[in-house]
Amino acid sequence: MALDIKRFTARFVEEAREHLVNLEAGLAALQQEPADQEVVNAIFRSAHTIKGSSRMLRLAPISDTAHRLEDLLGALREGTLTYSHALAQLLQSGIDAIAAQVDEVAQGRELAPPDEALCAALARPLTPDAETAKPAESVPVAAAAPGEIKFKAADSVRIPLEKLDELIKLMGEVVSSHARLRQRSRDIRAIERDLRAGSAGRGARVADFARELKDDVQAQEALMEELHGKALILRMLPLLMVFDPAPRMVRDLARSVGKEVECLVSGSEIELDRQLIDRLGDPIVHLLRNAVDHGIEAPDVRAKAGKPRHGRVSLSARQDDGGVIIEVRDDGAGLSLEAIRDKAVKKGLASAEQVALFTEAEVIDLIFLPGFSTSAIITDVSGRGVGMDVVKRCVVDELQGAIQVESKPGVGTTFTLRLPRSLAVMRMLLVAAGGQTFGFTAPHVSQLLRLPADQLLEVAERHAVLIRNEFVPVVSLAQMLSLPAQPAGADLLLVVVQTQSEKLALRVDDLIDERNMVIKPLPPHLAGLPLVAGMVMTGRNQLVSVLQAPALVGMARRGSAGSKQTTIPAASQVRVLVVDDSLNTREIEKDVLEAHGYHVTLAEDGLDGLAKARNGEFDAVLTDVEMPNMDGFALTAALRQEERYRDVPIIIITSRQKEEDQRRGIQVGADAYIVKGDFDQSRLIDTLKSLLG
Amino acid sequence: MSEQASALDAILARKQQTAGEVVSVDEALVKLVFFSLGEQWYAFHGENISEVLAESEVFFLPGCPASLEGVINVRGDIESVIRLRAVLGLPDSNGITGSRILLGQARAMRSGIRVDRVEEVIDVQESAIQPPPHTIPEHLRPIVLGIVSFREHLVHLLDLERIFEDYRAGLR
Repeated sequence: MALDIKRFTARFVEEAREHLVNLEAGLAALQQEPADQEVVNAIFRSAHTIKGSSRMLRLAPISDTAHRLEDLLGALREGTLTYSHALAQLLQSGIDAIAAQVDEVAQGRELAPPDEALCAALARPLTPDAETAKPAESVPVAAAAPGEIKFKAADSVRIPLEKLDELIKLMGEVVSSHARLRQRSRDIRAIERDLRAGSAGRGARVADFARELKDDVQAQEALMEELHGKALILRMLPLLMVFDPAPRMVRDLARSVGKEVECLVSGSEIELDRQLIDRLGDPIVHLLRNAVDHGIEAPDVRAKAGKPRHGRVSLSARQDDGGVIIEVRDDGAGLSLEAIRDKAVKKGLASAEQVALFTEAEVIDLIFLPGFSTSAIITDVSGRGVGMDVVKRCVVDELQGAIQVESKPGVGTTFTLRLPRSLAVMRMLLVAAGGQTFGFTAPHVSQLLRLPADQLLEVAERHAVLIRNEFVPVVSLAQMLSLPAQPAGADLLLVVVQTQSEKLALRVDDLIDERNMVIKPLPPHLAGLPLVAGMVMTGRNQLVSVLQAPALVGMARRGSAGSKQTTIPAASQVRVLVVDDSLNTREIEKDVLEAHGYHVTLAEDGLDGLAKARNGEFDAVLTDVEMPNMDGFALTAALRQEERYRDVPIIIITSRQKEEDQRRGIQVGADAYIVKGDFDQSRLIDTLKSLLG
Repeated sequence: MSEQASALDAILARKQQTAGEVVSVDEALVKLVFFSLGEQWYAFHGENISEVLAESEVFFLPGCPASLEGVINVRGDIESVIRLRAVLGLPDSNGITGSRILLGQARAMRSGIRVDRVEEVIDVQESAIQPPPHTIPEHLRPIVLGIVSFREHLVHLLDLERIFEDYRAGLR
């Protein structure tokens, strides 16, 4: 059902083969000159590009292999690994494996999973180093008044003379390239004269001309790309600017609140565009403050819990998939869901009934709401300045990134920021909708789908599509932007965009292009427009709006909330527990049920479901099968052990179609088994109605 | 209409005494950009208009207010295009050919401004600018700096600083 898009596959094959040639050539060059950093950089980039573009097309076997290759090359580049003949052979076998996989793709064949032995071999040189590579605690920075911590934004950049010289050399190349083009212009005029005169051998001359012109255009393109790349590098700064003051700051903060905290920093050599470095300071300061103030417990509390009195906060960065991942991790108590729920209710951000039904992830999401702060009293440390809502807005909207929270009670909390390396040039997908062209940045695009219109599911007066055991709402991009609908073809073309926890499938009319593009900012007075991140210019000098995927997801959610109100009939007393680990699926099932007057409670896995079932009373339970912690079969079996749930209808909704699974479902005590693929809302409601009698 | 006509007569009469469009060396001059929306003529101070753009393709910008036509590319910079008709509360001009975009620059912001026709860019004497008469509609009063009589038109001299300031405040 999920088809990858052929046109993009063809381009990928072409691009990947080019990079494979670069990899081969680079490896050969390394044999001559093992320490040549430029060569290492070049082949690292090639491996990286292959990984990125294969991932976008969901060619996981290729991206996996390329990822390992890239890791190795990254270590070589950073000097944690030294060149050896054995390493070269390993790299060569990785390149060969990718080449073979690309050939398979070119022939339109399904990819086999990557060679495990090879992947393991590629990973091996890196494993023993993992521990020792961590730097010891950084040396404290001199002079900075305690409490007065501010990261300085750089107004100027120091550029090594040699980089500038390279740029100037390239400018010289541009001039000579232009001279060649002038010559072509003379050539075509001569050919024109010949044509008029009707002299012999015209065909050959035109063919020559076309070939030469093509060569020139290609050379020009390469030159431009190099120039652009070199110019962008001038703007790159190491994360050191932001990371360096962190250990001292953390120690000072800890002292001021009577805690003992050490701070570990790693990855500060990773470079990002100045624009990002400048704006990263505030969110990182806030996350560190948050970790010290709320994350790490007081020394006595820690001692009682059997932990070292010394808390630990780590700030680390690593490269990943065309971007950089920054983690702020503490080994504190973890987020208190109870405290968050209470605070949200006290602040009027949600009602007590609402938060009681929230899943863990939804509760954690509350901390990103404007006006939320978990501190009981406003403290000197994190009670003022930017809040978590500002952190999120900065990371998601301004820096085109994503933020994720992971928290385990007693073990600690980790905030993960995923950021692009530069905002100036980004991988861009261009699509057509409603007669206009729009762009999406690659980090926000989860996948592309083409499927027949009849595979669209209709749930709660909305459309949805089943992607890997998850219902994803489908909306027409043109309709969302109030543009006229275009006549639809037989197949639907969907761009699936993703924010932290939600997906949205946008119906578009056509896919136009996918390439690296320069994003131009909107004028300052339009910076508040939520839908548009900036503009890109296409080859035909058209300006195209780059859409903010998070804003679209938010808009779709609000749209559905609005329509829901009109469809809810008189309140019913039937309470249904919906258990599914996918947010989208839960929400859609909830919409369907609420539209038919049921009262719905959500749970995000079997354990959560079991706890909620025990603490509440439900007239029916709907559950998925594959879930973390406890699957749907186990949940069903466990519920049947409970006095109260012996006879309550349990419906399993799953993408597993196998008969043995169905048998197993009935065995453990489910009353009905609905396969998501042929899910339609009336069937669910009818089943539920008949079971409830 | 008769009110306007009498106001025009009064101004014309005054103007007769100040030598009309003939430039007198003693007097300070101001550069004005004259343009029209339908039959009505308007002017901006020349110092607020950095250029007059012809034939610029305007591109769609999703989610922008109706008074914003879209964006244009001015030598690599993205600039917005404001429909002046919408700002002044005038109906859309359908199918006017030869309309132009003025590139306006004020302290609050910079933007393109869509006008029906650009009539003239010329220096006039400061004294030719008369205070706005009471007959000016309420909603225009804050943005009209004065009235200039030019080629038998009663021209509203508009305050671009104020228009852009209000526009920007409205976007927030």
